[in-house]
Amino acid sequence: MPDNNVAIENALPRVDVRQKVVGSAKYAADQYRPNMVFAKFVRFPYGRGKAVSANVEKARRVPGVLEVDVRIDDYQEMPGGRIGHIVAESEAAIEDAIEALDLKFEHERPLTDANLEKQYNGPKPTGNHEAIRAKFKDAAVVVEALYQTQVQTHSCLEPHGSMVDHRGDEVEAWASTQDVTGYHDGLKGRVGNVPGSKVVVHSDYVGGGFGSKFGLRAEGSLAAQIATKYKRPCRVVLDRDEEHLDAGNRPGSIQYMQLAADKNGRILGGKVHCVSVVGFQRGGGGVNNPVGGLYKWGDIEKSEDEITLNFSIPRAFRAPGWPQGVFAVEGMMDELAAALGMDPVEFRQKNETSPRRARQLQTGAELVGWSERKPDGAWPGRVKRGYGVAGALWPKWPTPCEAECRIARDGTVEVRSGVQDIGTGTFTVVTDVACKALGLDRSLVSGLVGKSFYPPGPGSGGSVVSRSLVPAVREACANALKQMVAIVAAEWKVAAADVEYADGVFHSKSTGRKVPWKSVCGVMKDSVLVAHGKWERGWAGESDGSSDCVQFAVVDVDTETGIVRVRKIVAVHSAGEYVNRKTAENQICGGVTQGISYALFENRIQDRQTGAMVNADFLNYKIAGPVDIPDIVPVLDQDDSDTGVRSLGEPATVPTSGAIGNAIANALGVRVRSLPITPEKILAALEPKGASA
Amino acid sequence: MKDRENEGTLPGPAVFTAPHSRRLFLKGMGLAAGATAILPTVAVGQNADAETEEIPGLKILGRGEQKVTLKVNGASRTVAIEPRETLLNVLRTKLGLTGSKEVCDRGTCGCCTVLLDGASIVSCLMLAIDAVGHEVTTIEGVADDPKNAALIDAFCEHDAAQCGYCIPGIVVRSSALLDENPAPTAEEIRQGLSGNICRCGTYTKIFDAVGSVSKGGRT
Repeated sequence: MPDNNVAIENALPRVDVRQKVVGSAKYAADQYRPNMVFAKFVRFPYGRGKAVSANVEKARRVPGVLEVDVRIDDYQEMPGGRIGHIVAESEAAIEDAIEALDLKFEHERPLTDANLEKQYNGPKPTGNHEAIRAKFKDAAVVVEALYQTQVQTHSCLEPHGSMVDHRGDEVEAWASTQDVTGYHDGLKGRVGNVPGSKVVVHSDYVGGGFGSKFGLRAEGSLAAQIATKYKRPCRVVLDRDEEHLDAGNRPGSIQYMQLAADKNGRILGGKVHCVSVVGFQRGGGGVNNPVGGLYKWGDIEKSEDEITLNFSIPRAFRAPGWPQGVFAVEGMMDELAAALGMDPVEFRQKNETSPRRARQLQTGAELVGWSERKPDGAWPGRVKRGYGVAGALWPKWPTPCEAECRIARDGTVEVRSGVQDIGTGTFTVVTDVACKALGLDRSLVSGLVGKSFYPPGPGSGGSVVSRSLVPAVREACANALKQMVAIVAAEWKVAAADVEYADGVFHSKSTGRKVPWKSVCGVMKDSVLVAHGKWERGWAGESDGSSDCVQFAVVDVDTETGIVRVRKIVAVHSAGEYVNRKTAENQICGGVTQGISYALFENRIQDRQTGAMVNADFLNYKIAGPVDIPDIVPVLDQDDSDTGVRSLGEPATVPTSGAIGNAIANALGVRVRSLPITPEKILAALEPKGASA
Repeated sequence: MKDRENEGTLPGPAVFTAPHSRRLFLKGMGLAAGATAILPTVAVGQNADAETEEIPGLKILGRGEQKVTLKVNGASRTVAIEPRETLLNVLRTKLGLTGSKEVCDRGTCGCCTVLLDGASIVSCLMLAIDAVGHEVTTIEGVADDPKNAALIDAFCEHDAAQCGYCIPGIVVRSSALLDENPAPTAEEIRQGLSGNICRCGTYTKIFDAVGSVSKGGRT
């Protein structure tokens, strides 16, 4: 692992942090232009039904309104269904036009709740274990349970949106996208006769994506359509309500599991039935249960189904399908351990597939103070402390990526790639990897991403960007250095092999001559030296294998109020070579924070009569805030097997809810198997015990 | 101004407890501010021809744009605004100050936090017209104030930003917090920032940044 110990000590702040801190970073939603028009969708507010009347003429007469289009009798099956749009000179005029429309709706009772009694047809715990015991003769214990997870919305703080400026023969767009190359592909066919080469997309700063900002999407499409029609800049940015309704969600789940283990703590196998709770269009679900590769599951028989509700289709959400699966399987791990009378960490060690995670279990247990853990429900007093653990892994999906290294005569370097930074630190990854590859510091090197005219790179999904980008950047820099060496060799009339380069100085092995970087740049023939780098799966520089992690949680649960305070999360992550300690730690802490939010707070709620989402805001859709944040201890775990950059962003959020669920069960002595784990559910779980006491 | 003085503070905390109805809220603001304007009801989403509130001593402006002078980041800026426009909207769309972000538009996320006469408020819950006669300081002004140099540096040094969309509001609020309490404890920092949310989950770095200034001195 040649680079690891140097890179991990790189703790410079991200290169674009100051612009973000002082508010000068311009996001797509910050793009305002003179002569710009605003467009907004007209939406159906209920779960099922249609608009039956609209005063379109009155809306068109509102001063400043350019265009009103509403489809009457267009049957909708989700709140937020798009039934038209308004174009106007200002947002205020759009507001007036919507009011003037005086929309009237007819709606029917929709499907809004993944109701266990009415809509779930899968197996439920019956206590009948004859079949599984017949199959697994060595079964010492059998555990069966039903787990449920809620629907979560992405809730990116920067809403989805675009500003498209059509200037007749060229188009420039500012997009809040996590795939600038893909967005360009989508936009270029929708702007009239302007060729793709004259269509430029910027996504310099993106206010969060989390999986929901791929492609042109309806917002980008509308902005392109209106900008093309009026040949004016057009801004389409969703409001918070629209964000919750029509900008993606993590589907809910119902998971039945029945597992058997032998007396030595070895899992033998069992049955898993997973139901995804998805939107009316079906699809977009999928629960990763049993989590392949996490433990030795034995012989599992799996079946799947869907429940469709009157809501929008799910979108990829940071580790799609994983947090819901891990919450359930890690709960089952603890239930099996309890049935066997084994310690949860010891039980995991017996079924672990990864030596790396086996080590992480040990490291984490020491850091979190696992030895303080008491038997389930045994913590004395009203506020009970609990300890929990959960693990995860993340496979590799290496994706082709290109980069370009440009060296100028003044010695400055730009390294460009058509990937994007959605808060993940990609600007910093390019910059710091290039600095290291070129032996220069940040004063000379700029890593640049987020433009459609840079060499194509992957979208920010599957945690593939860093692991695909780093070898491409290294290749581009290595190719640039070869050209620089050739310049020096020609100048000194020596063979290229005679010239060595390190830390900003070229030197000849035969003559001992030395020349610094900037002097060589100054004598370059061309004003800019350009070198290309490309990387694909199987090429040199491919990082080795999956990412592994284990997280431990410590919680305090007030048994009278049901309120949970997460006190500490220890997050031990291996992601191969780290480029920058600060950005890596920030990714882990962020994943953990979203996991806390998923475990305890977030929940989409629809009105059962109308299907309207009742908490499509940030007042009633609760996201973890400052007072909910525990002491988070990120541990960047490495060993000799670590070569290359692996994935980090998604695995960081996968195990948190499982660890918290287990910690709460340890504190209480009873288990809540349904997310979010609210005070109400905790008090309900405690009730039978309290009643008998 | 008398009513506001009696309340003791500017509408910072008060906005969080205001009635959720925007109409009631706007009426309340107009009265509390003793402002030069009261909205015609159209401004709060009702028919222009319906009842118009008659409140003695208050001049009615609108509908349509009115010229007002706002004092923002130390400079007087004259802009044509509609009485219904929020301070946030005017800052972003008419004054080019896009550091304040529109995220929830209901005072629940803190991303549009600005200072009004030195106290933090959420600018999405204040009408621009009610800011007339007051000093507005946005993140752009907070960042330029030498008093905040150490705070800004601390946010940078601690890498206290991921996507960064919440950060300007959090920096403004942190600056106000340090004015209110120059040496907050870790718990006081959490409580003091509790009106701000960060979706990426950068909180721990934010706490570290504010805490380092609290310990190390502000300038």
